[in-house]
Amino acid sequence: MSIAVAPAIVVERSVPMAGAVELVLYHPPSAVAVAPGQFFQLAVSAPHTILRRPYSAAWSDPASGRLGFIFNVVGAGSSWLSGLDEGDELDLLGPLGQGFDLEGDRPAICVAGGLGVAVFPGVVRALIARGRTVIVLEGARIATQLLPASRFHGADVRLATDDGSAGHSGSVVDLLAQYFPPPVGEGRVGAVDILTCGPTPMLTALIDAARRQEISLSSIQVALETPMGCGIGTCLGCAAPRAGGGYLLTCQDGPCLRADRIGWDLMTDAFHG
Amino acid sequence: MVASGTFGYGFDAPQVDRTALGAIVSKGTTLRPREGNAPTRIAETPSGMLNAIGLQNPGVDSVARVYAPRWATWDVPVIVNVAGDSVDEYVAVASRLDGVAGVAGLELNISCPNVESGLQFGIDPKMAAEVTRAVRSVTELLLIVKLTPNVTDIVAIARAVEDAGADAVSAINTYVGTAIDVRRRHPILSRGSGGLSGPAIKPLALHAVWQVAAEVHIPVIGVGGIMGAEDALEFLLAGAAAVQLGTVNYVRPQAAAEVHDGIGAYLVEHDLPNMRALPIRRAGVLSHV
Repeated sequence: MSIAVAPAIVVERSVPMAGAVELVLYHPPSAVAVAPGQFFQLAVSAPHTILRRPYSAAWSDPASGRLGFIFNVVGAGSSWLSGLDEGDELDLLGPLGQGFDLEGDRPAICVAGGLGVAVFPGVVRALIARGRTVIVLEGARIATQLLPASRFHGADVRLATDDGSAGHSGSVVDLLAQYFPPPVGEGRVGAVDILTCGPTPMLTALIDAARRQEISLSSIQVALETPMGCGIGTCLGCAAPRAGGGYLLTCQDGPCLRADRIGWDLMTDAFHG
Repeated sequence: MVASGTFGYGFDAPQVDRTALGAIVSKGTTLRPREGNAPTRIAETPSGMLNAIGLQNPGVDSVARVYAPRWATWDVPVIVNVAGDSVDEYVAVASRLDGVAGVAGLELNISCPNVESGLQFGIDPKMAAEVTRAVRSVTELLLIVKLTPNVTDIVAIARAVEDAGADAVSAINTYVGTAIDVRRRHPILSRGSGGLSGPAIKPLALHAVWQVAAEVHIPVIGVGGIMGAEDALEFLLAGAAAVQLGTVNYVRPQAAAEVHDGIGAYLVEHDLPNMRALPIRRAGVLSHV
């Protein structure tokens, strides 16, 4: 773990989709060190808040020393972060946790629900750099909340919205079902790798669909989101149910985990999306 | 010192210069491994956080066999926080740690539920004294008792554990609190309630230290919501002989070093010889040394 000591500098702020903000930070050590799927703990100074905010890096560019974070503005911490502007400093702790395993040669399907899409720009870029075929299935409630497909250059992007305002009308998991069995799956178990991030109900629906299709859960990787305290394994606050009993720590065992390690039957009780 | 539960067993924060710490107090350790509570375990609240981790820990045997030998090579003393459901369990954990190289002392967490009576050891002077005395009889280690603030008269508990042989008390553990998710109409924490820490409780903790330090003759370790050197100085002025940092470790892992340096700078600035010159009142142990 390499830990940032000097603050990052905000070099760009934009609104990539409705309700969200993207901050581009200049921080060469972090841009170099982070692997796709890893996260940082961002220090916020909003009144009456105390904990850092955990966000996966959306992407990084070691050459320019930049990395991006995309987040929804939903509470005091994200509101404070969204108020930062070019030239402001930001204290980063990280990169932390485990990223996605990007090795392999099978087609990779990235399934993003809502803000879960925020982790994927860098993941898709890294997969394509490895010569892999990449399909992005992106779902949101409404069209304006979709991260533009142009952010996934080189990937085949399919959309789903709850209200039908863009792409498939319904869940992004419906889209995934179209890939089981052929063409990509060709009826063979584990013929694709699935990488996913999104609200817990979407994840559990995806896992249910995969089980019905007898897709091995070990071919699915999940970027888990849980409440988080320290981010480094000391507070034990980010527990998630482990397959077979006990708990995983999202910050150390994850956030990116193979789906067969997670106790899905207990996930819905624990996290309500 | 870094407070129990906020620094694991000392291995998870490689960015922290351990030599800047006076001591590490470990995660609460029980006789057998515990998996902890179901999620959700933490919730941020105004200027603080609630936690209900449920004493997730690998059990005392792993601590003694795996962790302690590594601690023995460190310059910083490690104090093991001990928890249990019964007097026998506290005694068993303490016995297992007595004489183990790398274990510099024990801190008894007497805020845990006592399944035998349905009460907590820490809320009754007699039970607090009983568990302290029982542990005292099986160990030569430094014995600190961590007081719960969820009591009517914390001074009575402090006096009781002092009489029972405690070498020091830490004041205080977390306050019981609740947070509710209005969207789900359900408590955020799976246990319904948890322990409140952070700056929200600092004035309360400071008051407890102010009360206890005036009434006992053993050192009081101040803990509760300290975020920086000025907070720590308040506790030292109130009569604490040392301080523990807790929640701040989650936010600024280097906070202990900053507090240490800040106290030093204050002493120089005010031309004070050492920390023992800080307490406002000449009471408790500090008037006798």
